Amino acid sequence: MSTVAIDKKQAWGGGQSPFQLSYGKIMMWFFLMSDAFTFGAFLISYGTTRFSSLLWPDSNEVFASFPLFAPNGGAPMAFVSLMTFILIISSVTMVLAVHAGHCNDKKGVIKWMIWTIIGGIAFLACQAWEWMHLFHHNGTLWGAFRNGQAADVVPHLFNHSALEAFSAKEGAEIAVRESADAGHKFFNFFFSITGFHGAHVASGVVLNIIILLNTINGTYEKRGHYEMVEKVGLYWHFVDLVWVFVFTCFYLL
Amino acid sequence: MHFNDYEADQSRLYNAHHGDINSAESKAKVKNIWKITAYLTLITLIEVGIGLYSHYSHAMGGLKMTYNIIFILMTILKAGLIVSIFMHLGDEVKSMIMMILIPLTLFIWFIIAFMADGAFWLWINENVYTWSK
Repeated sequence: MSTVAIDKKQAWGGGQSPFQLSYGKIMMWFFLMSDAFTFGAFLISYGTTRFSSLLWPDSNEVFASFPLFAPNGGAPMAFVSLMTFILIISSVTMVLAVHAGHCNDKKGVIKWMIWTIIGGIAFLACQAWEWMHLFHHNGTLWGAFRNGQAADVVPHLFNHSALEAFSAKEGAEIAVRESADAGHKFFNFFFSITGFHGAHVASGVVLNIIILLNTINGTYEKRGHYEMVEKVGLYWHFVDLVWVFVFTCFYLL
Repeated sequence: MHFNDYEADQSRLYNAHHGDINSAESKAKVKNIWKITAYLTLITLIEVGIGLYSHYSHAMGGLKMTYNIIFILMTILKAGLIVSIFMHLGDEVKSMIMMILIPLTLFIWFIIAFMADGAFWLWINENVYTWSK
């Protein structure tokens, strides 16, 4: 939130931060950049594998269930849209906590941090349901469909007409082998990447709880500012940012 | 500012604007946050809408490719809103913004190179190593 103009000649002369930021915040940005490359490498390797495959599962067929309303499919995109919305909202409540911190409004920080934590837990609960559903419904976790396991499930992961066309062109045997291979790769990437993202959300919830407790205890009130809320906020927004890309790569493209 | 002050008290570098939460300026900022929220939600809804339309209309080939380009552009737009508004990067000094954004341009090479690699593997498996069939 720097608005003061800095003297360019003096900025790098020592004794002050050329970026007008504390090292804690700069290091959080550096960490997030390194994390962006980690997630980027994951998603790009997913893309490379997908580009090298003859067939690829259709996300509208794989992720078509919704708890209670459509437990056995028929509602493509619905549940993941809900998860995305939950994460957007928890990102908003985090900005509102940061804003309350700027105004030294302790009550506001506490209120919005609690909502952010609730949003994070709700997202994790949704992800737990999605994973459990895939496991119970398809028998898939890492290493699915090896050596002909659960072969009856595989055709249901693909666009029906695309799989038919492939089978007619290349032969049924190759269609069975290639579709199982693609399904295997798809789920390995899916569980690795959403698992890594979920681990980020989980640690973000823990960090948010620590910051909330510090706020309640008056640590930041005594310090005179709520910069820690801003730092943990950067991390939380980054987790939302990663989800934006995961959502596009796994569910839309 | 004396060097020792800088080393000892980082919190002096924290120059957030301290306004009153009920001030007009504060309320304008909160209103802007909700406006960005509405944008993010709207963009996501459009993405989901196009995705469902593409699914039920069995879009293929060039049409599906067009939808995919729209998805990628909307994703970049959402990412930009989150980083510049929610993460306040847009409010930092220019050298800070550049320090974050310039290294990320490596992704341009990263994505093109590795997608091309995947496509090449597919091509070589289909056209050169016929034993794979």
